[in-house]
Amino acid sequence: MLLSEQEAKAICQKLLDYVKADDATVSVESENYQHVRFAANNFTTSGRRENVEASVTLWLKDKKGAAQTNEMDDASLEAAVRQAEQLARLSPVDREYLPTLGPQPYKPTQGYIESTANISATERAKAIDAVIAACEKENVTGAGFHQARGVVAAHASKNGNFSYGRASLVSLSLTARTQQGDGSGYFLRNHFDVAKLDTGRIAREAIGKALRSREARTLDAGTYTVVLEPQAVADLLGFIGFVFDARLADEGRSPFSTPGGKTKIGEKIVDERLSVYSDPWHPELPGSQVAQGGIPAQKLYLVRNGVLETLVYSRFWAKQKQKEPTPGPVNIVVEGSQPPASVEEMVRSTERGLLVSHFWYLRPVDIRTMAITGLTRDGVWYVEKGKIQYPVRNFRFNQSLLEMLAGGNVELIGAPERVSASESQGSASALLPALKVKQFHFTSQSEAV
Amino acid sequence: MSSSLNCIGDVKASRREFLKVSGLALGAAAVPAWLLELEAAEAEAVDKGKLADAALSAARTLRASYADIRINRYRNENIFTREKQVQQVSRTQSFGCGVRVLLKGTWGFASSHKVTAEEVRRITLQAIEIAQANAAYQRKPFTLAPVTKVATSWRSNFEKDPFDIPLEDKIGFLLKLNEAALKVKGVNFINSSLAFVNEQKFFASSEGSRIEQYIIRSFPNFNVTAVDSVKGDFQSRRSLGGPQGMGYEYAEKYPWLAEAEQAGNEAVEKLKAKPVEPGKYDLVLHPTHLWLTIHESTGHSTELDRALGWEADYAGTSFLTPDKTGKFQFGSKIINMVADRTQKAGLATVGYDDDGVPAQRWHLVREGVFVDWQTTRELASLVGQKTSYGCCHADSWGSVPFPRMPNVSLEPSKEKITVDALLAGVKNGILIYGDGSYSIDQQRYNFQFGGQTFWEIKNGKKGAMLRDVAYQSRTPDFWGACDAIGGEATYELNGSFFDGKGEPGQSNAVSHGCPAARFRQITVLNTAPAAGRS
Repeated sequence: MLLSEQEAKAICQKLLDYVKADDATVSVESENYQHVRFAANNFTTSGRRENVEASVTLWLKDKKGAAQTNEMDDASLEAAVRQAEQLARLSPVDREYLPTLGPQPYKPTQGYIESTANISATERAKAIDAVIAACEKENVTGAGFHQARGVVAAHASKNGNFSYGRASLVSLSLTARTQQGDGSGYFLRNHFDVAKLDTGRIAREAIGKALRSREARTLDAGTYTVVLEPQAVADLLGFIGFVFDARLADEGRSPFSTPGGKTKIGEKIVDERLSVYSDPWHPELPGSQVAQGGIPAQKLYLVRNGVLETLVYSRFWAKQKQKEPTPGPVNIVVEGSQPPASVEEMVRSTERGLLVSHFWYLRPVDIRTMAITGLTRDGVWYVEKGKIQYPVRNFRFNQSLLEMLAGGNVELIGAPERVSASESQGSASALLPALKVKQFHFTSQSEAV
Repeated sequence: MSSSLNCIGDVKASRREFLKVSGLALGAAAVPAWLLELEAAEAEAVDKGKLADAALSAARTLRASYADIRINRYRNENIFTREKQVQQVSRTQSFGCGVRVLLKGTWGFASSHKVTAEEVRRITLQAIEIAQANAAYQRKPFTLAPVTKVATSWRSNFEKDPFDIPLEDKIGFLLKLNEAALKVKGVNFINSSLAFVNEQKFFASSEGSRIEQYIIRSFPNFNVTAVDSVKGDFQSRRSLGGPQGMGYEYAEKYPWLAEAEQAGNEAVEKLKAKPVEPGKYDLVLHPTHLWLTIHESTGHSTELDRALGWEADYAGTSFLTPDKTGKFQFGSKIINMVADRTQKAGLATVGYDDDGVPAQRWHLVREGVFVDWQTTRELASLVGQKTSYGCCHADSWGSVPFPRMPNVSLEPSKEKITVDALLAGVKNGILIYGDGSYSIDQQRYNFQFGGQTFWEIKNGKKGAMLRDVAYQSRTPDFWGACDAIGGEATYELNGSFFDGKGEPGQSNAVSHGCPAARFRQITVLNTAPAAGRS
């Protein structure tokens, strides 16, 4: 059972009552998590976890200590506080200490649905059976993952701040492979409302891609125009979050640092049709009401019309630099300023290029330019004269994301769709468009299917 | 090598004894009396045997053909510093229980942070309900390979429990390390950390096994950065010493200070190093680098669950398939890869796995030929084996146990081959230290690896530093191109605390030992031009 606001508040208060230190923040998180996996058209593992975690960070004057426990009896809660105090006593001065926040005006977000957080095991089994049956009907082998989660997070400070929020999430991914192992398709979607997760579509898309990717031909690695489906964009841009840190940029170790010790704030960093923003109250992608450092989340633009507008200042770094701490981001929306193009239109307008549905094993190779390496997976098709011609084998790429999104390289932008980076297994969410990109660098072939 | 199988009588009692002794030795600040009392009270309050009986008898009544319960406590301590300051000191505890049942050949699992008889019965019922719901649609029931029942306890091999070392010592260790790097001219930043893990695991099965284990792992780590603000360039050099299945003695015995200073010098040198010219090179790979290539290309490709498609949706499948067992030429004849859950200081070294199967050692690749798999009780019979190799693991009381990698290591040459001897045979090559960027496809063929430092090899000698190096190859081609491996003296154990696999993702700590080794004519690329820089 997830903690109610009253229960969460009581635990926070209990922790604060135990605190003898000068300042403290406490939090409690409660989770109800359920999953089912299937592979080789068979149910493999399935389970649930109920957990509650209480955390305390406190300062004895300006010396900091932190502890966490998942045992909610009074003795364990007090022991956690005493342990944090003991660690603080032994720690050197925390030079980044700032007094904890007083009461903040949070504006609640709506991302919790009870039937998602407490999903029915029998309904879920029926839905997964239908997915497996669809695989069997097309003679492909399905492997997939369904998860449902309800989470409660409450925070309180010794200076009187308190917040309570609930969120739910459900996701389903399916990898369909042909019996001969010569074709593979993947599709993943998530939502905070189980009623809006279209499991039928997920099965159709993954199975269709598996069947259409058979008998792939070998194409030379090199630079190609690419049409990236929203999933492929999600896989690439999963790396974008961390780079907006102001401190790293000021310290000269970020892609947004410039020679001479300045940052790229106010400079055009990507195509001027693109904007990147965070909106806690987006109806399709509700974010948290609490942004970094406990400050109330607000809508904010990281990039507006191609120009870097915001770098994220923590409370400490903001004070150092005499700025305001940044109220986000708590989610990511990437949007184009022109009427969106569909994937079909992107293909139709392509003289010679590749249609990519999914990327895999992405890792940064050069932070300075946001260069990453990785591979295509589960379906790449050769496009010529506006038509999909045939499937091709996978490639490894090495590509700078800043170069990919630069003005002159982005040709068409789709409508943002709720997607999830495949390496997050459906846990991350963002609203991202399909993209048609003029030049994308594939550096070697991979025979993997 | 079974020297780490260090069985003792009773883990709980021993722990208290150990605390008592070290409390005397280290002074009251190390282990406060209230903590000792609390731990003793907790240990007495939770009668794991009784809870196990409650779960297992409920599962039997509800017609489970097999059931197990794990009651585990996980303790973590993390200390983070940068430059001259401590950023974070934290201790976390996670205690809970998980019940797994097999009903009509279908798995069900449920877990909770409340460890009481009533809760254990409730989650057993939940596990049964989940299994029942899915069993209605199950196509092929699972069966388990037999295992001998055992009642025992096991403790990992460590000298000093890091949880008993005073915090001041640990902070002092990190700040001294930072100082050593920062005194190098041109070094701007250093982040360093210490991570310690203690797992106290209890396992009981419906087949009569009762196993307690006490495991310690340690991970000191740092990253030094030098910035050239005029050019807008920066370079980092991470520590080469990886995590170990050791206690605090690892922080004391490894030459961390010397390495921090060396890392500082190398980060500065990297700013001015010569960009690598792309092309084919002979590579000499140091164990601080090669362990990760072994992990990705060999460790994962020999997981039987992958080969059978059980991980197809995320981690992927494998280019190895059951029909290739004993036939496939994996590498050159000097390649012998051994899986070993008994290896001293190994991160995946245990007494028993989460199926209750004892730790073992066996070959995956012998004289270049792929010969065997990593298995669990549910996997063994699928390749005609009678028993499991003991590779079942869950990263928490709340996670479902599933096949995870044992320590997988490349055996050294029996001859006394040194790193210099490996270099001597190279006209134009690159010597690589440390692990860097890594990426490999979902069948474990095509891979790309970076590193921490790269050095020219010219006419048999180590030369100037290079930068922006990554190499690309294909697993059987790469291991086939290995023409010399170092002797025992070049052998080192490295590894990862955080090998990810499964859905939901679970973390596994795993080690890979290897000597230095030489690979002929491997494709090297310059990662900077690929990143759009000239």
